[in-house]
Amino acid sequence: MLIEIKALQQELPALRDINTKDLCELLASLGFPVDAVDSSNGTTVLEVDVTANRGDVLSHRGLARDLAAKLETKLAELPVNTLAEGAPLLPIRLESEACPLYATAILDLGKAQGTPTDVQAFLGHMGSNAKNLPPVDASNEILHRVGHPTHAFDADTIKGALIVRWARAGEKVVTLDGVERTLTTQDLVIADEAGAIAMAGVMGGDSTKVTTATKRVLLESAFFDARTVRATAHRHNLHTDASYRFGRGADPAMAKVARDLLVQRLEAWAGGRLVGAWTAGTVPSSRKPVVFDSSVINRVAGESISVTEASAQLERLGCAVDGQHVVPPTWRHDLGIPDDLAEEVLRLRGYDRIPSALPPLEGSPEPLSTGYLQRRHLASRLAHLGFCQTMTYGFVDQQEKQEFDPDGSDPALRTLRNPLGEEYSLMRGTLLRDLRDAAALNLDRGAHDVRLFEIAPVFVPNPKNAEEPIREIWTLGVVWAGETGGEDPLTPVRNIAAPEGKSHLIGVLKTLGISDDFLRAFQRWEMTGVVGGTRNHIGWQFEVPLEAIPATVERVIPAYSAFSRFPTVERDFSLLVDLDQSYRSLAEAMTAAIQGAAGEAFQDLRCVDVFRHKSLPDGRQAWLLRVKFQHPARTLTSEEVDVWMAAGLGAAKSLGAELRG
Amino acid sequence: MEPSLLPVEILEAQQDFPMALAACKDLDGLLRLKGAYIGREGSHAARLMELLKAAPKEQKRELGAAINALKNQWEETIKARQVELENAKKRAAALGNTWDPDLPAPMPAQGSLHPLNRLIDRLVDVFRPLGYHVEEGPEAETEAHNFDGLNIPVDHPARGSADTFYFEKHPGLLLRTHTSPVQVRTLLRLAPHIKEKGGIRFLAPGRVYRKDEIDPTHSPMFHQVEGMLVGHGVGMHHLKGTLAYAMKALFGPGADIRFRPSYFPFVEPGCEVDVRCPLCGGSGCRVCKQSGWVELLGAGLVHPNVLEYAGIDPGEWSGFAFGMGVERIAMMVSQTPDLRFFFENDQRFLKTMGGLD
Ligand SMILES: [Zn+2]
Repeated sequence: MLIEIKALQQELPALRDINTKDLCELLASLGFPVDAVDSSNGTTVLEVDVTANRGDVLSHRGLARDLAAKLETKLAELPVNTLAEGAPLLPIRLESEACPLYATAILDLGKAQGTPTDVQAFLGHMGSNAKNLPPVDASNEILHRVGHPTHAFDADTIKGALIVRWARAGEKVVTLDGVERTLTTQDLVIADEAGAIAMAGVMGGDSTKVTTATKRVLLESAFFDARTVRATAHRHNLHTDASYRFGRGADPAMAKVARDLLVQRLEAWAGGRLVGAWTAGTVPSSRKPVVFDSSVINRVAGESISVTEASAQLERLGCAVDGQHVVPPTWRHDLGIPDDLAEEVLRLRGYDRIPSALPPLEGSPEPLSTGYLQRRHLASRLAHLGFCQTMTYGFVDQQEKQEFDPDGSDPALRTLRNPLGEEYSLMRGTLLRDLRDAAALNLDRGAHDVRLFEIAPVFVPNPKNAEEPIREIWTLGVVWAGETGGEDPLTPVRNIAAPEGKSHLIGVLKTLGISDDFLRAFQRWEMTGVVGGTRNHIGWQFEVPLEAIPATVERVIPAYSAFSRFPTVERDFSLLVDLDQSYRSLAEAMTAAIQGAAGEAFQDLRCVDVFRHKSLPDGRQAWLLRVKFQHPARTLTSEEVDVWMAAGLGAAKSLGAELRG
Repeated sequence: MEPSLLPVEILEAQQDFPMALAACKDLDGLLRLKGAYIGREGSHAARLMELLKAAPKEQKRELGAAINALKNQWEETIKARQVELENAKKRAAALGNTWDPDLPAPMPAQGSLHPLNRLIDRLVDVFRPLGYHVEEGPEAETEAHNFDGLNIPVDHPARGSADTFYFEKHPGLLLRTHTSPVQVRTLLRLAPHIKEKGGIRFLAPGRVYRKDEIDPTHSPMFHQVEGMLVGHGVGMHHLKGTLAYAMKALFGPGADIRFRPSYFPFVEPGCEVDVRCPLCGGSGCRVCKQSGWVELLGAGLVHPNVLEYAGIDPGEWSGFAFGMGVERIAMMVSQTPDLRFFFENDQRFLKTMGGLD
């Protein structure tokens, strides 16, 4: 909301002694922070941020009223001559509860019409152009000064009685902006006997608008229900100065005052001659009393505030306080419960006076959830293993199905109705898509060793469960692309995208405790991405639901398990095997044979070197296998180890391997 | 001595000796030279001994002395050179086993936590000593939890499809617009046990979504950390004490806070909380727009309607709630000029900003 300091000072003369910076502080302390100060047009205009619950401060006078309460001073007298009302000049029928009050007047306009230049300038500062049509400009000026929206009709265009009623379904009205609006039965309209002529509290109609040719005006200064106006403005996406103020709650007691101000201005600016003024309906009965509960005020405030002080603060805001109850003023629609009163008392005292204390610890704290701890632990592990944690939006385009088809379900079940665009229309079913794109982006920008991971939920349709139609599964996605090493004299460069590069990623995943079964079942290891404009194989990727990773969050040390103190014996085999020999089947067969012979003395069998060279027989490669033995209770003899090794070699030979000489 | 006593070739050898010696760059060469000059057979020295044997008696004395002098000179010079070369070899062998520690060392791979996650974890750590644990809820949330349970009116604009993402096939299902629905879920779950637990206190960090276009200061997905405490006699002073502690823990002992009145439907009273600008310490800078304060979070006392919705008696229980934008704090603290950097995932940004814990 724009506030001209000069106009604010007219409403509250005490402000003349306060500089702009202090005024901004003062407004902020009342809950109305100043977003911008503009002193460019010879006057200072503030852009004041008003919260949605405070319709009463959406004008210079409204804001000044709150400041006056804070400063314990008085508003300037409103320069208004209260009109004597007479009999209705035309029937006004209020057919809906959404309009309990309709103050009006009819004026004949004189020949000389003009809006005073200072008012034109004021309207300019309010961001609206003066039309130099006094009925329009005066209405607009009054809105900004006192906050009550009014409207002027060309009285000669109104046919018969004026009716405030719900629109008929499909009824049409052309609004002042020239747009034909099709109304619903929840839209409140002003109508004459021929049909709707205005959208109540939102915008006037084109057919009854004031022009330079207008001879006679009918003024409207009514009170419309806030919710009704909000709904209509929202439904028609028609947000006006009037709908903004009625929508946040206007002051019904201001209806007649605003009409009188409007009449006064038209008399002065447009040679207006009052034909008659009258009012249909009444100011709605005063606001519901709120229980005055000083225990709530004291609890909220964190200290004891005397009833006298609290009452005085509330009275300064216009409340009527009788000891037991508080009746809010007609302009405050936001005071409904004792907590609201407490807020007002604190607000006027100043939030800076609220004491500061830690609450007592009631009950015992709960442990951090294993889910949270697992994610945090995993992220830390991966970061220490050289992987960077990514953060992606979670929306992907509909291509995901073709590329990844995460769970085979219908992507429509996780599609957004109103996405930012097609490329953000699907809640992802996999993290691999975003990780792949991030890896490609890094390679494209010249990164060599790209290691990324993300821990986030993926969205899985769950159509059979009405309670939870989309399940969110916390998932870990990991990618490794490009090459690693080669950055120092001691670490050779290794191409991650090469076939053996996959083992680097597998090693990391095993470190995290992901089972061999999971690793073997995973189908989408290969990662292709667009680098340098072409799609290449760039590395390896993996994705796993977190529930498949053991959560190592147990912080108490486990039970002791015995380990042998006797020497370890290591023996190597160099075996010639076929190039397509499965390591797993060979290792399993040998392990079974050696373990069968050695029993608990067997510790480990692993391949520690792969040798491929043209000096080897065609189609063969050499594997160096290392076997470890250690007995829990004694030192091993060379002879028994020879026997066990022979058993292992036998198993290898049965699979076509031979000992390399 | 008469020079004529020695044969011409010996005199030449004697003349060549210094150069030949200088040409020996290693021990092998020196041994060859040694063989040629003073070896047992076929050397210049051996040849001189033969000459001496055959010399007339009267010349023997003089010739012998000359030959000895020559031999001794050769022997000593070669020996000195040999020591020199042996020392050089030892030194080279020793150097071969050294390594200049200023050569680039193989660095253990260095990854990083995402700066936003790191900040969230930091906040959890800050509130942990006050007894807060972590509660979480789904991102695909119901209108009931996201709006109804939070006292947000049915005609509130935030409910519109201009502000909130809805799912195509599931009416009433949306992407949560704040972490506050976790309040609703947690209150509903814990309400029956609130007496035995002696109240409720938790943090709810998470991803939230709003329909904002992607630009340097907006993102359709961002993070919030919500905090809530319900107990007996909870007031604004408790909120102030808690946030004052937390901000000092986060930003250091100079981090004062101030409260300003504000409005959120799910709290009453509501407030905005500013922290003394962590960049300039309050003297005024670009970040705080010279005010010395930066807006940090929204907070307030839990609205009685929110407690009632969850089945908790607001006559007995009261509480506070606060919610902060993680990106907002991250941008403010780090002075990152563009919010999109947090979601672009360039490793250079991630490694600089995220680090390890
Ligand atoms: Zn600053």
